Amino acid sequence: MEENKILFSTGSLDGLSEEIGTLVNREESRLKLTPDNADSGLAKLVLTLIELIRKLVEKQAMRRVDGGLLSDCEIERLGETLMKLEMKMEELKKHFNLTDRDLNLNLGPLGDLM
Amino acid sequence: MEKLIYSLVSVKNNREALNALLAEMKGISGGDLFVVATDEVAAVVSDIERSGFATDRSMAIEYAGLIEIMSQQFTLLPVRFGSVMESSDKILKMLERNYHDIQQNLQKVDNKCEFGLKILCDPEGIMADLKGKTEAMINTNVTPSAESKNSVYREWVNKKLHEHRLEEMMITFVDSVIAALSVSLVRLNAIHKFKKLVTAATIIDAVFLLDKEKKEILIQSVEEIEKQFPGLNFILTGPWPPYNFVEIVLK
Repeated sequence: MEENKILFSTGSLDGLSEEIGTLVNREESRLKLTPDNADSGLAKLVLTLIELIRKLVEKQAMRRVDGGLLSDCEIERLGETLMKLEMKMEELKKHFNLTDRDLNLNLGPLGDLM
Repeated sequence: MEKLIYSLVSVKNNREALNALLAEMKGISGGDLFVVATDEVAAVVSDIERSGFATDRSMAIEYAGLIEIMSQQFTLLPVRFGSVMESSDKILKMLERNYHDIQQNLQKVDNKCEFGLKILCDPEGIMADLKGKTEAMINTNVTPSAESKNSVYREWVNKKLHEHRLEEMMITFVDSVIAALSVSLVRLNAIHKFKKLVTAATIIDAVFLLDKEKKEILIQSVEEIEKQFPGLNFILTGPWPPYNFVEIVLK
């Protein structure tokens, strides 16, 4: 492959190198279940699904707020509920020693879950 | 001895030319390259000891380099690195079982090659830019009622709403770049695949399949589009074998 494969570039290629490094290092975000780590692996899987659903709910809620579909009172209650959910999630992540990055599974060719 | 498969090649009237090219090349670990063929489709393979076959980065690059050389002269479907079958006979049966699908894919990529376009941004810079342009819209317009003015929950909603609107604006911006690219790609009659917001910095990761002779027009088109989005870093690469346009589920 001696031919120059960069046909056009408007800036430094350093950014691209960093991005490739990031993508290569995503190996750690794959779910690795083994007999030795079944507990923590399962916790990671379950919390990942909960976090995905929580974020979807939050996104949908913000769409409704943004659309002016909710009353003040409803927004207040929504805020309280979602904020408490977020705090609970933080507690669980701390308990299982997981970070946001751990809960963003790499789905290979499909990209990241979140 | 097992066989490592490199590519599936269209050999309508040129099997001799393929054999001549392979005679000048060496496969992974220095093994001879040869073809297993049925009718107009050939698999390029080399002998390999699966037990001693350690896949590493340099080997993957060497493998890609061999496919690259073949693709410059022949229409082919690149095979995933590390694809090994037990014998030539099994490869032949696989070719026969999948002959129709392989032929269809070969027709799709005939005289075409793949180009990649990555569009990178400075995530903080672009967010600041978007914010500046639409500050009025970004300011959350959820007006709190008197009794909930200082509510922590209301503040939380406002913060989240702010983030949500920024995200929506970012998606709209990325869609506008894709729309500009799509207009040019339609003119080039290219098949394309876009991935949006792959990471915070890579806002678009695209691949195009188009006629080999349209390479220069593609470069010009990308240059023109880049001028409309000066804050972004466009990186166009190619030509590549059609890695992202082979769609076969082997039977």
